[in-house]
Amino acid sequence: MLALSVASSSIVSGVLLGGMLALAALGLSIVLGVMRLVNLAHGDFLLVGAYAGFFFFTFTGVDPLLGLPVIALFVAALAIPVYRYLLQPLAERGAEAQMMTMFAISIILENVFVLAFSADTRSIGVSYAALPLTLGPVTVPLVYVIGFAISLVAILAVHWLIARTAFGRDLRASAADAEAAATIGVDVNRVRMLTFALGVACAGIGGTLIGTAFQFSPSSGGAYLLNSLAIVVLGGLGNVLGTLFGGLALGALQSVGGLALGDGYRDLVGMAIFLLVLAFRPEGFARGRR
Amino acid sequence: MNAPLLEVAGVVKRFGGIVAIDHVDLALLPGTITGVIGPNGAGKSTLIGLIGGALAPSHGTITLDGRDVTRLPASERARAGIGRTYQIPRPFLDMTVEENLEVAQYSIEPFISAGAARRARAELLVRTGLDDAAMFPARALPLLRRKRLEVARALALKPRVVLLDEVGAGLVDSEITELITLIKSIIDSRKAIVIVEHVIRVVRECCARSIVLNFGKKLIEGPTGEILANDEVAAVYLGTQGAREKRSACDGEPVADAAVHVGAPAAERDMLAPLIAAASSNVSDGPLLELRGVEAGYGQARVLKGIDLIVREGQAIAILGANGAGKTTLARVITGAIAHASGSLRFAGHDITGFAPHHIAAMGVAHCMEGRRIIPSLSVEENLKIAARRADAPKTRQRLNAVYDLFPVLAERKNSAGTSLSGGQQQMLAIGRTLMARPRLAIFDEISLGLAPVVMDKLYEALAMLKQARMTLVMIEQDVDRALALADYAYVLEHGVFGLSGSAAEIAANPLLRHIYIGAAD
Amino acid sequence: MKREKIAPAPREAAVILVAFAVLWFAPAFIGEYGLQLGFRTLIYLTLAEGWNLMAGSAGLVSLGTSCFVGLGAYVAYGLLNGLDLPLPAALVVCALSGAALAALVSPALFRLRGLYFTVGTLALAELLRLIMINVSAFGGATGFFLKNDPPALPILFRYALAVAVIAALAATLCVRTRASVILRSVRDDEDAAAQMGVRPFRVKLAAFMLASALAAMAGAVQAVKLGAIEPYGMFGLQWSIDVLTMVIIGGVGARLGPLVGALFVIALGEALADYPEAHIAIAGVILIVLIRFAPRGIVGLAAALGRAARGRALA
Repeated sequence: MLALSVASSSIVSGVLLGGMLALAALGLSIVLGVMRLVNLAHGDFLLVGAYAGFFFFTFTGVDPLLGLPVIALFVAALAIPVYRYLLQPLAERGAEAQMMTMFAISIILENVFVLAFSADTRSIGVSYAALPLTLGPVTVPLVYVIGFAISLVAILAVHWLIARTAFGRDLRASAADAEAAATIGVDVNRVRMLTFALGVACAGIGGTLIGTAFQFSPSSGGAYLLNSLAIVVLGGLGNVLGTLFGGLALGALQSVGGLALGDGYRDLVGMAIFLLVLAFRPEGFARGRR
Repeated sequence: MNAPLLEVAGVVKRFGGIVAIDHVDLALLPGTITGVIGPNGAGKSTLIGLIGGALAPSHGTITLDGRDVTRLPASERARAGIGRTYQIPRPFLDMTVEENLEVAQYSIEPFISAGAARRARAELLVRTGLDDAAMFPARALPLLRRKRLEVARALALKPRVVLLDEVGAGLVDSEITELITLIKSIIDSRKAIVIVEHVIRVVRECCARSIVLNFGKKLIEGPTGEILANDEVAAVYLGTQGAREKRSACDGEPVADAAVHVGAPAAERDMLAPLIAAASSNVSDGPLLELRGVEAGYGQARVLKGIDLIVREGQAIAILGANGAGKTTLARVITGAIAHASGSLRFAGHDITGFAPHHIAAMGVAHCMEGRRIIPSLSVEENLKIAARRADAPKTRQRLNAVYDLFPVLAERKNSAGTSLSGGQQQMLAIGRTLMARPRLAIFDEISLGLAPVVMDKLYEALAMLKQARMTLVMIEQDVDRALALADYAYVLEHGVFGLSGSAAEIAANPLLRHIYIGAAD
Repeated sequence: MKREKIAPAPREAAVILVAFAVLWFAPAFIGEYGLQLGFRTLIYLTLAEGWNLMAGSAGLVSLGTSCFVGLGAYVAYGLLNGLDLPLPAALVVCALSGAALAALVSPALFRLRGLYFTVGTLALAELLRLIMINVSAFGGATGFFLKNDPPALPILFRYALAVAVIAALAATLCVRTRASVILRSVRDDEDAAAQMGVRPFRVKLAAFMLASALAAMAGAVQAVKLGAIEPYGMFGLQWSIDVLTMVIIGGVGARLGPLVGALFVIALGEALADYPEAHIAIAGVILIVLIRFAPRGIVGLAAALGRAARGRALA
């Protein structure tokens, strides 16, 4: 049945896209968990990855997905001076000062994009971008499947890093009780710096993947920030695999919303879900008498 | 017959698995001042939080003047007439002293005339000795004046019940005298005052009746003089040697926490070998840890006012003192968690002033922190491994095995979340974590807090083995008897300096010791 | 300490009313360019006063200003087009609707503390924007036109002036009266404030409702001037960004912060009029520098310099 094919294709596409967005959301989540910082420039770092992928492809002709390690390093390299010179000096001053600084970075980045690359909407036009992949009633763009696979690998790699390595132990300890961790011997500042770099790199890689699948423009940053926040809230802060499932769930729900109400409603469904979950899910977000 | 002004009936407060307040009853008559005393961790501040409204009881009721206030939040209880002070003063730092009082005044009487409000404030400020500081920002006030501001602010609510939470902590004798005068001037026939205190002198001179809390339960209640002379109360504060003797008569208590191996000394030493740092070859070269004239505190509050301490390799030192005396502050200064304001701090011959905590840990200082500070998101084994910083995999495994030999229950639960263990097991984990760093100096900070005597036996057996293996130990303890039994030397903190110091035997025999804790030499 | 003869609130209110009277006649002396600039400044001043009230006095950092600006715009058009209400009446209804929306979302929003509140306001603004874009009953992406021609610029200027004066008076009422200590107690330490009998929820709600009402009125006046509205402009994040930038540069919590910030940002915009993106990027750089080195903004910096100068003079 055509309707079934359209519906199932749409939902599967949504899930695949959600997986890619989950990678970006993971970056936001680990920064929030370890540094208690809502990185308001998160969406713009995602765009840095998208633009980097675009220009990488344009100037080298090499598939940006092959260039992901380079792009990841590039974005991480940007993050380190931002942490060292802008965030670290504000560490004692409370989360608000850092958040406002990232807010300022966000508006600077957005306008640098416009100045440098114009306000045009772009996408990374790899040759297989439009190729469909059909499996039974489901038809999805091939590039979604590839992007999803890469995201999945990256998310699992981050999960392994956090759950099984010494650095991951240090990261979790710094997130839970920074003072105790420092007394035990963890260099909390270095952990935070590396975590920030990792988080921003996740956003950047996610951006490259989304850039191959989708369009982007300098003003898309805000939407991606909110999207990532929604996924983090859905999946639970500090839960890597939860973030993955949050992304898949949000992607599916957005597709359902789009099917039921019309394509423009996808983002709206996402926002509505975000606010509902925020309102009713207390973990770490709500307050009240103990 | 006076009806009680405030009644607390069968109140229980649970935090997760821990029962902080266990069926406590309390009845306050108007015109009385009641003392609440007990060791650290007994639940005194929790009780204040429950009466004041910051915490909601898990069970039980609280009644004010016949009205059930159990479900009321803090703001409504304040409006109903319950005023409280905070243990660590929390004035509105960016507002002036007068403005701090205005908050309370305008909350309960929004349309009070400016003149009447000003007059009321002036009177309060005179009474609490703050009239010269009326326009100062609260931030500029030293500790004693901040405590007075806390009291003034609570009084500005025109309260029926006043809850004073450890207002005496950190004050010198003359300041305590002033505080006692202030408290006595507050009471009138319509009010009731509850004083939670560690400074026994305040309780003795202000409170006609007192109750003693221990492990969240009410141990005993009665006229203050009798309470303070009671041997059981003294045991609760000073140590559990006596309690242990009494307990051997009522056995049958299941030992839930697994035993500590107590084998032949040589076998113990071998077992612990991976955890003990090799004694440095230049043992004769000066002390391992040296503090001279160290002063430290938090913001305006000067907690340590000139500390001199020398710890040599292989020694076991006990640091004693009443709560609020600064024992944990001292530990945190040594480990670098807080900066000291003046004086010198040297470890293994190096000046470690200004070193970051992880740097000091790398030099060989390990701190088994007060309150255990187990990392909740790490498993038991991860909590242990994270402390073995510069050891390769085989060495880490060696140390892990040594810790598991010492505390087998940790091996059984090694993949469980760190905080899912019982209190005693968590303390074992914290001790094990300290040892995983193979420290040159290990600081054990209040390991007996909130633990039953049976469990404390096990922990101190482990410490005894460490001492036998020549590890350098600093024990910060509330349980005086146990600490003195193990230590070579002891130092007693009082008013920010070491009031008493000497060999453990000397200190144990010194009658002044009981005075420092209970406030009366018999 | 010498008591001042006249209490601060009435004195400041008098100053504001005198400024109102003087500026009322400005259209007679200032050309069109000046009126345009003045109009923008007054709109921004209104938003900034409201934002400063929420953030500086009550400790609520909001990124949701655009939500209420847009609401005011659309409600105004609904009233002017559909009911032919005169503009002053429409403004009153807009203010009330702004306050009503704030009241509606506050139970959920105030469950969030600190950063999460800020994120929540951002999400709310985005949600509303998406609703307005997609739901055709609200005009969809194309929006609405104003049925009648907008009033002349001098009249619009006076409306903006009136709204700004209301905002300034509201801020004076909150900052120069006994309400100020209550607000600041919630900002400084909500739990200790509760222990003093303050009801933090109600205090925060009052600040939120007031700021939202002001934002709605500003949005309404702006919308009338434009003659046509659509969701990207009226619900765009730009409003939230601009107002936050302005107040931080001016000085959060300072009485003159909004005014100084608004003048500064407008002046910067004029100086870089040919390079709109550079203007915003530079504002961002200024923000970063101020947050790091002068967290109390220009007003705080000036106050510190003034104290240092007085200190040197006395030495």
